[in-house]
Amino acid sequence: MSLPAREPPPSADASLPLRFDDSDRDLLARAFGSPGDGPRACRLNGEAHRISLVDGFDRLLAWPVLRGVARYDHQERTALRVLRDLRGRAILADEVGLGKTIEAGLVLKEYAVRGLIHRVLVLTPAALTDQWREEMETKFALPFAILRSVRDWDRRPFLIASMDTAKREPHRHAAQARPWDLIVVDEAHRLKNRFSLNWRFVAGLSKKYMLLLTATPVQNDMDELFNLVTLLKPGQLHTYDRFLERYVASPDRRVPMRVSELRGRLRDVMVRNRRGIAFTLPPRRVHSLAVRLSPAERRLYDDVTQFVRDAYWSASGRLPWTARLTLIVLQREIGSSTFAVAETLRRLAQSPLFRSDERERLEDLRQDAAAITSNVKAARLREFLESVDEKVLIFTQYLRTLQYLQGVLEADGHRVAAYHGGLSPAAKDAAVRTFRGDADIFLSTEAGGEGRNLQFARTVVNYDLPWNPLRIEQRIGRVHRLGQDREVHVVNVWAEDTVEANLMELLDRKIHMFELVVGELDLILGNLDQRRSFEDLMMDIWVLRQAEDRRSALRRLGDSLVRARAQYEDAKDVNEAVLGGAEEAASA
Amino acid sequence: MSETPRLQPFVVEALTDLGAVVSPGESLVWVQAPESVQHDLEVPANFALTFDAERSREFEAELVAPGSYFLERLIAVVARRGQWDAARCAVSGTDWILSGLRESGLGPETGVRSHVNGIEDGLLWLFAFRVTLLSDEKRESFHLVAVSPSERCAWTVDPVRPDQELIPHPSSGNSADLEAGYRLAAESLRSITAGEVDRFRTRSLGLLEEEVRRIFGYFDRTIEGLRESDPDGSQELLRAVMAERDRRLSEAVERFDPKAAASLCSIRAIQVPTARLRLGFPDGSGTDARLDGWSGRLRGLICSNCGGTDGPWRWSPPEGLRCATCAPTPAGSARPRGRPPSDTPRRGMRAGEASARSPRGSRARSRGASAGRRRP
Repeated sequence: MSLPAREPPPSADASLPLRFDDSDRDLLARAFGSPGDGPRACRLNGEAHRISLVDGFDRLLAWPVLRGVARYDHQERTALRVLRDLRGRAILADEVGLGKTIEAGLVLKEYAVRGLIHRVLVLTPAALTDQWREEMETKFALPFAILRSVRDWDRRPFLIASMDTAKREPHRHAAQARPWDLIVVDEAHRLKNRFSLNWRFVAGLSKKYMLLLTATPVQNDMDELFNLVTLLKPGQLHTYDRFLERYVASPDRRVPMRVSELRGRLRDVMVRNRRGIAFTLPPRRVHSLAVRLSPAERRLYDDVTQFVRDAYWSASGRLPWTARLTLIVLQREIGSSTFAVAETLRRLAQSPLFRSDERERLEDLRQDAAAITSNVKAARLREFLESVDEKVLIFTQYLRTLQYLQGVLEADGHRVAAYHGGLSPAAKDAAVRTFRGDADIFLSTEAGGEGRNLQFARTVVNYDLPWNPLRIEQRIGRVHRLGQDREVHVVNVWAEDTVEANLMELLDRKIHMFELVVGELDLILGNLDQRRSFEDLMMDIWVLRQAEDRRSALRRLGDSLVRARAQYEDAKDVNEAVLGGAEEAASA
Repeated sequence: MSETPRLQPFVVEALTDLGAVVSPGESLVWVQAPESVQHDLEVPANFALTFDAERSREFEAELVAPGSYFLERLIAVVARRGQWDAARCAVSGTDWILSGLRESGLGPETGVRSHVNGIEDGLLWLFAFRVTLLSDEKRESFHLVAVSPSERCAWTVDPVRPDQELIPHPSSGNSADLEAGYRLAAESLRSITAGEVDRFRTRSLGLLEEEVRRIFGYFDRTIEGLRESDPDGSQELLRAVMAERDRRLSEAVERFDPKAAASLCSIRAIQVPTARLRLGFPDGSGTDARLDGWSGRLRGLICSNCGGTDGPWRWSPPEGLRCATCAPTPAGSARPRGRPPSDTPRRGMRAGEASARSPRGSRARSRGASAGRRRP
C-alpha cells in the first residue's frame, strides 16, 4: 500500500510536513476484517480522542485532580506564566510561605497531563527529599521515588535526589548521561557559585524545562544572580564582564545599578510574588509549658540517658549504624513519654545489638518505665486544655504516647479525633471530618503534608518536640498557612533538663523560630555551615559526658544559628533591593 | 484536555459499552466490572468512581479527572476499540435534498432550479484523524474527513456531528477503495491543517532562532573575553566553554524543533442516499451536482472566481456561481471575509504551491485531488 510519504526533517527553508503514523497502515489492513465493536464504540472512540486533546496552555487542566491544594490566584497565574511565557524555564522566587513548591507542582502536573514530560529530576537538600516526595504524591498524585541506589537513575522516571548525593560519582555521571524533560532545583540559591560542584553538575544535565526555586536569588553579591540566571538562560544578563559593567555598582558587589533595566531582563526568567496585604499571615504567639518531671520519671529519664551515653561511647568501638539509630530513637521516645519508651526498651532488651549486661540494664529500665502510670506532662496538658475554649491540635511523634493521651483526655470528657499513620485514607478523612464537626481535639502523630486544611483551628500543642525543626514547622504549618485569619497559638510542652529543653533554648530563645513565617526556617538552617542534620547535631551534643562540654557545644551551635538567621535577614534585604519591583510586573 | 463536566457521561457510557454495570449514586458512581474490564483497567470487580479529588479517599474511589490514572487507562482502552464501523444513513423521502440545497445557499428562493435525475446508494468513507503539533508545547486537534470514493473528492465534517440517523449495516466497499480513500483524506487533512502547521512551525523556529542567537552571543563573547584577557591562557578552558555552548545549542534544537504528526483514529463506511442533481441558474446555464443525505455536502460545483469547491454558494449575475468567500456582499462592495484571491505566486514558489497557503489554495488543492491530478 502506498501511504503519504515521510519527508526529511524540517529545516528553516522547508515547510513542516505532516507525518502520518505508521500505525495507520495496520488499521487500514485490519479494518472491516471483522464486524468491529459497533457504532457506539466507534462514537466513543472519537469522544475519547476529543476528550484527551491538548491545546497549548490556555488554562490549567490539572486542578480537578489535585487533592488538598487550595486555589490561589498568584499560584495559578505563576504556573500559567511559566508554561506560556517563560516556556518552562524559570526561577520561582516568591517570598517564603507563598507556595513555591505548589507552583512547581502545578507546572509539573500540567506538563505531565499534557504528556510533555516523561523523565523528571527534583534536586533538593537532603532534609527535604521526604517532604517533596510526600507532597508530590499526596497533592499531585505524582509517583516520585527518592534516589536510593545508582540503579534508580534507570528505573525511576520521576526521581527526587539530594543535591549532595547526585552531584557526586557514581551518581553524577549517571544523571548527566540521561536526558531529562524537567529538572526542578529546590533551594536553588545553593547554585550561586558557577565554579561550584553544584552549579557545574546542574549545568551539565541535559534538560528541556528547568525550574529553580529560591526565595533569595541573591545572598551575598550580584554574581549569584548572574550565575543563577545564566544557568537557566545564558546571555539573558549578557556576559559576566558586561553584567558587572552594566548592573553592578563598583566596588560593592551587593549594590545594583540600572535597577529597572535589570528587573526588565529578569522578568523574562523570573516570577516573584510578594506577600502584600492579602498574603500576610497573622502573628504566632508562643506558650511554653515547662514541667519538672516526677521523681520516678526523672530517674527513668536520667537512667535511659546514661544508658544511651554509655552505649554510644561503648568500649567495643564505633557502634553499628543501626544501634546508633536505635539509641537516638530511645532518647527521643523518653522525651515524649514513658509509654513511648517502654515498648522499645522491651524490644531492645532482647536485641543482639547489645551485650548481655546492656540487655539486663534495658530490662531494668523497661520495668521502671512500666511502673510509671501517669506523666507530669500530661497533667500539665490537661490543665492547659481546661483553660481553652476552642479546637486544639495536639501533636506527638509516637503512637503509644497518642494512645495514652487519648485515654486521658477522653476520660476528662474531651471529644478526641485521633489521626495516625495506621489509619486507612478513609479513616483519616473521617478523623478530619470529626474534628471539623464536634470534636474539640485533633490528636495526631503526623505532621506531614497530606494536604489537610485545618485552618479552622488555630492552636497547636507540641506535646513532644521532634529534633528536626522542620517537622515542628510542618506541624505549625497545618494551621499557620494562607487562609488563616486569626492569631495562631503554639504551645510547647517540655521537661526541664532534657534534650527538648536544649532544643527550646536553641530554637525559641536564640532564633525565635516559633515566630518565623513558614519556610524561613529552611533558609536559616540552610545557612548553617554543617553537613550533618540538625538531629545528629543535637545527639552529638547530648551524648557528651561532661555537662560543661555539653554547655559549650550548645553555645557554639546557638551562635551559629544566630549568625545563620542574621545572614538570612541580610539576604532578604538585598533581594528586596535588587528584585523588589520585578515581581510587581510579574505577578500583575 | 476537555472540561470535567463532559467526563461523567463519557465515562459512564464507555464503561457500559465495555460491559460494566454502572450505578450513579449521590456523590460516587458504583461500578460492577466484568473480568475483561478488571484486567484492562486494573480495577477490582466492584469499585467506586468519583469526579471530585477530595472524595477519592471514600471507599477507595477511583478519581476521574484530567491526568488521573483511571481516566488515562479508560481513554486508552476506548481508543483501541471502535476503530471501524459500517453504517447506513436512514434518511427517507426527498426533504433532505431541499434542505441540503438551502444549507448550501442554492435553495429555490435564490432562483436556482434543481432537478433530481435520480437517487442512488453511495458510499462515504469517514476518516477520523488526530493531529499533534509538538515542540516545547503541544497542540492537538481532531478532524473528520469524508471521502466519496466514486467522486474522488474529500471534505471535512463537523467532528461533533450527531449520528442518530446512522444505523448498523454490513460492511461494504473494498480495500482498494479504502486505500484510495485514505490517500484522499490524508491529502485533504494536509490542506486543512496547512495554515495551522505553518504558523506553529514559524513560531517554533522563531523561538529557536532567538535562543540560538542568544547562546552564540553569550558564549562567543565569553570566549573572546577569555582570549583577550589571557592570550596564552588555557586551551582546555576554551574547549570546555565551546563544549558547553554546543551542548546548550543541541538542547535548544531538541526543545524547539517542531514536529507535526497525524494518526488515524477510526474509519466508518457509510451507505448513504445520494442525489444526482441538475441545477439550473437564472441566466439559463446549468451544471450537474451531487448531494448526499448524511453530510449534506453539495459536490461538483466550482467557484467562478477562485476555482474552489467548498460551499456555501451564491449565484448572482453577472459573476455567476461563487463560493461564500468570493461572493460579492449584497451592497456589492467589500468581500464578506478573507483576502482577495491573487493569482500571483509567492516569491520563490511555483504557482501551484503558492495557493497552498491561502484559503483559496486549499480549495484548489481539493479540486486538483478530485480531478485526479494530484498524487498524495
